[in-house]
Order: sequence, then structure tokens, then C-alpha cells
Amino acid sequence: MNAEKNKQGLQGGEKKGKAGAPSPKILVFACRWCGGIGAGRAGWKRMDLPVSFRVIPVECAALVEPDAIFRALASGIDGVAVLGCHIGGCRYNEANHAALKRLELVKVLLDTAGIGGRRLLLAFGTAHEDHQFAEVIRNFHEFIGKEPSLKPWLGAGEDIFLRREE
Amino acid sequence: MNDSFVRTICPYCGTGCGLILRVRDGAAVECLPDRDHPVSRGHLCIKGWYAHEFIHHPERLTTPLVREGERFRPVSWKEAIALAAERLRGTAEKYGGNAVGGLSSAKCTNEENYLFQKLIRAAFGTNNVDHCARLCHAPTTVAMARSLGSGAMTNSIEHLARAGCIVMIGSNAAESHPIIMGEIYRAVDGGATLIVVDPRKTAAAENARIHLAIRPGTDIPLVCGMMRHIIDSGLHNGSFIGERMEGFEDLRAFLSDWTVERAARESGISEAALREAAETFARAREGAVVYCMGITQHACGTANVFALCDLAMLCGHVGREGSGIYPLRGQNNVQGACDMGALPNVYPGYQAVGDPAVRDKFRKAWGRDLSDRPGLTVTEMIGAAGEDIRALYIMAENPALSDPDVNHVLERLPALDFLVVQDIFLTETARLAHLVLPGACYAEKTGTFTNTERRFQLLRKAVDPPGDAEDDFSILCRLGGALGLDFPYRNPGEVMEEIAALAPAYGGIRHGRLEKAGIQWPCPNTEHPGTAFLHKDRFTRGKGLFVSPDHVPPRESPDGDYPFWLSTGRMFAHYHTGTMTRRSAFLNREQEEPYVEIHPEDARKLTLEDGDPIRITSRRGSIVTTARVTGRVARGSLFAPFHFTEARANRLTNPVLDPLSKIPEFKACAARVEKIRA
Amino acid sequence: MMTISHKSMEEIRIKARELLEKKDADGVLALRRGEEAVVAPHVFREPGEIGRLVTEPKWPLAKTAMRILQSSPRDFRLAVVVRGCDDRALVELAKRNQVTEENIRFIGLACTEEQAGRCLCERPYPRTIHGGKPQPGVHFLQDERVSSLLEGDPAERMARWAAILRRCIKCYGCRNACPICVCVPCKLEDDVWVEKGSIPAEMLVFHLIRAFHLSDACVACGACQEACPVSIPVMALQFAMRQALKDRYGYEPGLDGARKSPVLKNFLEEPETGKDYPAWITHGGTGHE
Repeated sequence: MNAEKNKQGLQGGEKKGKAGAPSPKILVFACRWCGGIGAGRAGWKRMDLPVSFRVIPVECAALVEPDAIFRALASGIDGVAVLGCHIGGCRYNEANHAALKRLELVKVLLDTAGIGGRRLLLAFGTAHEDHQFAEVIRNFHEFIGKEPSLKPWLGAGEDIFLRREE
Repeated sequence: MNDSFVRTICPYCGTGCGLILRVRDGAAVECLPDRDHPVSRGHLCIKGWYAHEFIHHPERLTTPLVREGERFRPVSWKEAIALAAERLRGTAEKYGGNAVGGLSSAKCTNEENYLFQKLIRAAFGTNNVDHCARLCHAPTTVAMARSLGSGAMTNSIEHLARAGCIVMIGSNAAESHPIIMGEIYRAVDGGATLIVVDPRKTAAAENARIHLAIRPGTDIPLVCGMMRHIIDSGLHNGSFIGERMEGFEDLRAFLSDWTVERAARESGISEAALREAAETFARAREGAVVYCMGITQHACGTANVFALCDLAMLCGHVGREGSGIYPLRGQNNVQGACDMGALPNVYPGYQAVGDPAVRDKFRKAWGRDLSDRPGLTVTEMIGAAGEDIRALYIMAENPALSDPDVNHVLERLPALDFLVVQDIFLTETARLAHLVLPGACYAEKTGTFTNTERRFQLLRKAVDPPGDAEDDFSILCRLGGALGLDFPYRNPGEVMEEIAALAPAYGGIRHGRLEKAGIQWPCPNTEHPGTAFLHKDRFTRGKGLFVSPDHVPPRESPDGDYPFWLSTGRMFAHYHTGTMTRRSAFLNREQEEPYVEIHPEDARKLTLEDGDPIRITSRRGSIVTTARVTGRVARGSLFAPFHFTEARANRLTNPVLDPLSKIPEFKACAARVEKIRA
Repeated sequence: MMTISHKSMEEIRIKARELLEKKDADGVLALRRGEEAVVAPHVFREPGEIGRLVTEPKWPLAKTAMRILQSSPRDFRLAVVVRGCDDRALVELAKRNQVTEENIRFIGLACTEEQAGRCLCERPYPRTIHGGKPQPGVHFLQDERVSSLLEGDPAERMARWAAILRRCIKCYGCRNACPICVCVPCKLEDDVWVEKGSIPAEMLVFHLIRAFHLSDACVACGACQEACPVSIPVMALQFAMRQALKDRYGYEPGLDGARKSPVLKNFLEEPETGKDYPAWITHGGTGHE
């Protein structure tokens, strides 16, 4: 029952972007070191950013569990970005190495399922300046906007109809 | 410190999957699928995977119990058997044998069912013996017996994979017979068209090419419309009809009232969809009709089955591999309980109680005078409790949850002079008993179950029953002996020999022949390999008979006071009254709370959210349960699984019966919903 | 049903008998052919019983071996007839401290070519072979159904996966049969992640979570899809990840008990094939250039 409520909560309230089209939802996991600093600065400077993304700060990118990515996609989020420190710069004993390897495998699985590994953006050390962050997010947002919505393929019950030749 | 692997049969549904119990130190600790099994081939559903969990549950009955006031006192077997014999015999002496009745068990083995009906008939000279088939496939046994001559599934389960078109009507096999659903999907993978007819958008419906979401209780209009279109289009199988059928002209005349337009209007389906379904079925090289409770549990359930038989035979889809009529029997041994004559009108092998030659045969075999009057059914016996019925012997049945209008059941059962209940847990019914006898579960006995494809399969004992509980075969032998009957059997295998001698269709069944893959009846002698499908060159009755199905809409439909349709049924994690599954940790975790499905629009109008407590009320009673808001159920309809004792769906159901088979109309009545304010 | 040559079955029996006679093993877990040719798993204790040991049909026993060992005394030695997949599964279970290889006596059975084709197995033989001859193995893309799910237009493939996975009846068979799925608690039973009480179990949460949890441990035994009553090709979810591990790290689960998953180690200890990393990657840099 919880899942039902969560699903409703996340799927509700579609925000409209320019020209009235629903804006794709992007979830950003940003580590509080390299990953999050750029995000924070972009926010302070009020840079021009698409409206429909949320940032979840995490201590380290290695704490982002792949299950959360699948769950995010299942809940109506269209793209997930994980921002971490560059490969030499992890504060926690190269945990970002493991994170990167693991998340690269998640992309492989997403490709297998046809969902597309490109819905998972990995920016390790490339988004730690505010303008870098803004560019990464803008590009990802534009890319995701062109991808077909996942909604028809999600879950079962209610509004979810897969092919039905009526 | 010894692991052993015991091959046995799953105790849940009528598919009869092979199950391997891993036993360690006398306890069944794990279930494994049997890769070598002819039906299940290494597959299990969630219930089968966890069929070991309830076996060693602490609430298992371990000793006979006698009720004193509100409490139960343990007694010895000697005392218990003596009490049962005395009270049952006493009742018969005081009021006549017909004041005694027995509810046999579709969960117990064939041998146990045979002994049960023999005990009731021989000891008391009555035919008041019945079991829960009355609540599920009684219309199948009645209608198919009339139309084809045999009331059983015409084919084997594996033949479904060869069908080119499967019409699945009133069945949610994805949740109730999952392994059979797997065979249906194999057919789909091979190119078959799946057509699902169900008012709800079940999991099966979601995976079907065509889903006909008919209005509740409009199966006959739909099927008649399909048949009318098939005949009008010339798609019926003329040569099959000419050679093998009777009554076609009567059916054709009957169908003149059923235009496609009328059928579509009454069933709520578009004409185009109706025509497409009909044509696809008729044109298929092999067409299968699969059906279950959505067809049978109606006030016109028997007529519903006639309609399906007519449809299949109209297209010539009987008597081959793939084509056929597939009633999915519910309980692990409900087919067997029927085969063994735990029915008020027939002896083992469906030999009529009223037939003098038959009665004579059994009289000689059993050494007792027998009644020629058909007895009462389950619902009739309970309805007459305290009046015409004074004593009941209930073996492993739970009418306090499974019968319609349970409030009435709960009033009537205490009115009995004597109620003895034999079961593995203290069920809601057992709580009302004067005497409780602790029986054994499937893992603790040997014997046979017969699955829905008529396959006798051998159980193997894996563990001992707990405490002083005994297997039901032993209990019946003791009680039979105490009642003066001759029950000299040393083991269930000897019972099967007696059965084989008295029921020709099972003449070749012996335990020793069942080791590998079981045997499907008819099996007339010990050389015969069994029968994979029926009606190959001739129907059991000779020619198949078209029977015109008279439509009777649901006897209670929504109105101002009770504006919703209410239907009851099953969900995948639990089994029937939950006696076993709600004591299985994994299964109970999957679904712990009772719920009733309601459509999002209806929920919105009632300001209900998923998970809210609600009260459902019908003319029979009221329950408090939880709302499950889902688009699976149609607008204006509710669906209530009946597994939950704390919210018994059968407090609400309508006990009105189908006149021919006496099955209650579980699938349709009227109810209202109220939000419960905190 | 394919029958392995009588010879390889005899070779297996010889080894099993020998282990029991020499008391190198306390029991042999294998298939037993009972009366009327019925086959089921069995723990053979006496050499005299071995005449009933058979090696067909394919019946993954690694998980059963683990369960038996876990409830046996510490010094219990269990011989197991293992095909390649069972062998690899037990190696992975040993890495996860579910069994110790010292307690296991591997009786290795190489699969026939036909069996390898049925399982789409790339390595149809164990590390040590006592019966049968190792066959070359097949590539999974050979199978049309698998390739239709793994190759081609992503949107079409997603639709195909979603349609197949929508049949799921949440039997937990894939999880129960998988020799690597041993976690307690299992995330698939946690209703924060996986909705309880309804079918199908959802593609994204149930199936992809399970597939990813196995990403670097799946030994491609096929037990998952063999247990699936509704013919979902569950194992096909794993193929691309297994291939990626092979391509990027030269890693295959189950071959080397001493080598843990490369995903657990940093790039210097387990570098991606063909990439160079300067040493400072693990030793320096504040993260800000």
C-alpha cells in the first residue's frame, strides 16, 4: 500500500516546461564533495536551469544504491544523474572507483532491458564547478526530453496497459 | 543429521504439482520443485514453494478434544472414538439415519474419501454425504455429465500448450492455478490467441490478446451471441455435428433469440469484439475452453457450463489433443472426492444411488443395507442443522468461512445435537464442535490425490503427525470399526484395491502402478495405461448433446441501498479459508491483511484512499476490511478475497442456489461501502 | 530428454563409490533413480547405493548442497555431483562464506553438446572433470528469443521485456532456485521496495533489482528460468552484464575462488582492460583542479 501512495505522489504534479510540454523529471544524487559543490553554487548564482530536477545529497557516490535508481525510474522519474568526485579525488578510500564500476554495470542492465543506460548519467569530477553542473544538467535534461516516456511500461494495474489490440 | 528428499504432491490446488520435501531430523524444512514431474516439470507457485511452513506450526492439533462450555479438554483416542460412535449412532437411533450427515474433504486422499462415504452410507443408511465441490464445480459434474457423459476435464493439462485459441472464462488461473497459466502462456508463445472473459482486469486478462470485460453474470448472453455468430457465419463444424452430436436443431432454434446485438448489449461487450472472439475460436485448429468459478458460482452455474460445452462442441473442439473443455478443479483432491462418491446422489465412480443394480452391488460389497434416496447437499445439511439434521461429521472442511451467508452457518451449526470435526488446526468450524479429532496433513500420510486432469497421484509420507494426531485413514478405520463396520484395511493401498473392484473407471488403479507419473482415469484394468483425453471417437454418452442454456441473471443486483456489485474469489498468496496459508510465514507476509478491491473512481467519490478501513455491508451481514484501490476491478464493482477470517467475505454472499447443482451464487450479489471515520 | 552417455554416468559412479569407500566423503549428493525410473535428489551414504545414482536430467544441486552443509556438523564432508554451473555456484557461495570448499568433494560432470545448447551455456564443464568430455559451449545470442530481447531497437525490446515480465506470478521461483540468492533478509521481501500482495512482480523493481544484485555473481546455471512457470527468460537479463565483466575485467564468476568481484576493488587493483591509470589515482589529489 505504501508503494501505491508513493507512486501516486511522485507521478502526480507534472510540471510544465516551455511550450507547455511536461518537463522530464530528473533525480540527481550528488556527493557532498565534488558532486554537490557545483550544484550548490549553481543554485546560489541562480543559473538558468530546467525546473524539473531534484538533488539528493549523499555522503559519497558509493552510497547510491542501484536499487534506488530502478525505483526512481519505476516511480515516474525519467533520468537519474550521479555526481561524484573525479577518480583520484575520493575522500573515502577510492569508494568512487567501486561506485563507478557498479554504476557502469547498471547502465549495462538498463540497456539490456531496453530502458537505456543513457538514462543514467555518471559525472565523476565533471560537474564540480557551477557552470559545469549547469551544463551537465541542461544537456541531460534535453537528452531525456527526447527519450520516450517510460510510463506506458511501468508496473501493472491501474492505468498501465501494454499493447492491447482493441 | 540425515537429509532425505520425499517426492509427494502439493496440497493446495487441483493442478497437482510434484513437490519434493527435504526432511531433516523428522521435520520438513524446505520445498523443492520436482523436475521429473509430468505436470509441473520443475515449477511451483508461491504456495507450493512454501507448502512446508504450516506443517510443524505450533497450533497443530495434537490430541482429541472434547468441548466443555467454552473450553476444550484433551481426551484419549479411545474416549474420543467411543464418544463419536455413541453420539452418532445414538442420533441415528433416535431420529433415523437421515438425521446424520457427513461433510467429506476435498483435501483428504481418495482412500479417505472412499472410507468416509462408506462409513456414512453403511453405518447410518443415509446418503447425506457431500463436500465442498458443491461450492465450486458441482455445475461441472452435473452439466458435463449430461452433455458429454462425463463430468471431468476432457483433456490433460499439457494439451493446453497445443491449443491455437484458448477462451479463458471465469478463471484467474494466473493467481489460482499458476502452473496451468504457464501452459496457457506456452500456447501463446507458440502463436495461440488468448481470450479472457472476466469482469475484472485480472493478471491473465492483462496478458490476453482479447479481454472481454463482461458485466457480472452475463456469460450465457456472451456465449450465445458467439454461437449465433459462428452459426450465421457458417463457421460451425458441420461434419462433427453431423457425426457426433444430437440436439443441434434445438440449439439453433434456441439461439434465434440471441442476436449478436442482444448478446453484446446484455453482456456489455462491443459487437465487434464478440464477433472477433467467436471467429477466432471457431477458426482455430485446436480450441480450448478453460473455465472456473466465474462460470460455476452463479444461480445459473449449470446452464453456464452447458453453454460452454455447446460452444466447444459446436466448433468440434473436443476429442483431440489441444482442443477440449478444461474445468480447473480447485482443491488438490476435489476431483478425487467426487470420483470417490462423497456426493449425495452417487457412489464411487458416479454410479447412481437410485439405480437398484448399483445399490445391490454396494450392498453386497459392504454388507449393509443402503438407502436409495439421494441425500442432502452441504448447504442443505447446514441449513437443516438442528432440524432434519441432528448430527454432523465434518472432515477437513471449514463451512464457517467457505459457505455462503456464514452468519447463518454460525447460527445453525450450534443447533446440532452433535458435531464432530476432524482437522489439522482448530478452524473456525472446529471451534463449534463437541468433539475435535486431530488429523494429518499431506506430508504425514500416504494415499492418492486426483488432480484436475483425472490423474491419480501417489503421496508419500515424509514426516510423522504431531503429538497424538493420526492420519485420517486410521481415524476412519477406528471409527468405522466402532460403528460396527468391517474396515480391515492395513494400509490405504488395500482401500484402493476395493475401490478399483467397485468402480469400473478406476479398475486398473493400484498404488504400485502410480510410482512414476500417476495414471489418468478411465483406467479399466491393470494393463491399461490410463487416458490422456476423453471423447476421442465417441462421447462417453455416445453422441454429444447440445443443451440450451437458459440465462438467469444474478439473483441480486445493485440497487439504491446496495449500489455495488460484490464478487468474491481468490488471490495468489492465500488458499481458500487460510487455514494453512495464514499459518505460513512467507505467504502471510505477502498478504497479511484482508482487503476488498474498489475502483479508483468509486474510491474518489467516497474520498477513499488505498489502505483506508472500510465497512462493506450486504443484506446478509457486514464486515470491516481495508480498501485496495485498483483499476483491476470495474467501476461499480467490488472484489473480496475470502481468505480472511477477521473479515469473512461470506458474511455478505447470497446463499441462493442454482436449482440443478445447488451451488451458491458466490460471484454476484449487492453491497454498499462506507468509509470508516477514525 | 537427452541421455548422457552411459560411460560418463559410470565414471561419475566410480568416483562417488570411491569417495565413500575411502571415507573421503560422508555423503554424496546426487540424483537417485528409484523404482519405476523416478528421479529425485538423494544423499548417498553407502557405496552399495551408488548403483542407483544417475546423472540425468539436469538438476542444479549447489543450493541444496549448501543447505545440507549449513545444517550439518562442521566436519561433515559432502561430495556433490556438479556440472559446470553447480561448480561455479559453489565457488561463489564459498566466496560469500556460505560453504567452505574444504567440506566439499566435487565430482565433476561435463555436459553434452545438446545440454549446452539447451542451457545456452558458454562453459558446460566444471573445473575438474570426472565424467564426460568438455564441450565447447555456445553463445547466448544463438537463441532467437534471447537475441530478440538483447539486440535491436531499445524501445521495441523494452516493450518485449515488459510484455514478458507482465506474466510474472511472483512465485519467487527464480529467487528460490538461484544458488546465489541466499541473502537473509532478501530485498525482494521488503515492501518498501517491492509491493506486496499483487501480481505481477514489477519489472523495474523486482526483476531488475534481483538481476543487478546478481550482476557479478551469476553463474548462468539457468535454474531461475527453469523454475519460472510462465516461461520468462530470466537469465537473459544477466548475459550483457556477464559479458561486460568479461570484456572489462577478464572476470567470470565461479572460476576462481581466490578472486573476488572486480567491482569491489579500485581501478589499480582491478583495472578496466585496456585502460591506463596513473598511480596518483589512489594516492593523491584533493579532487579540485
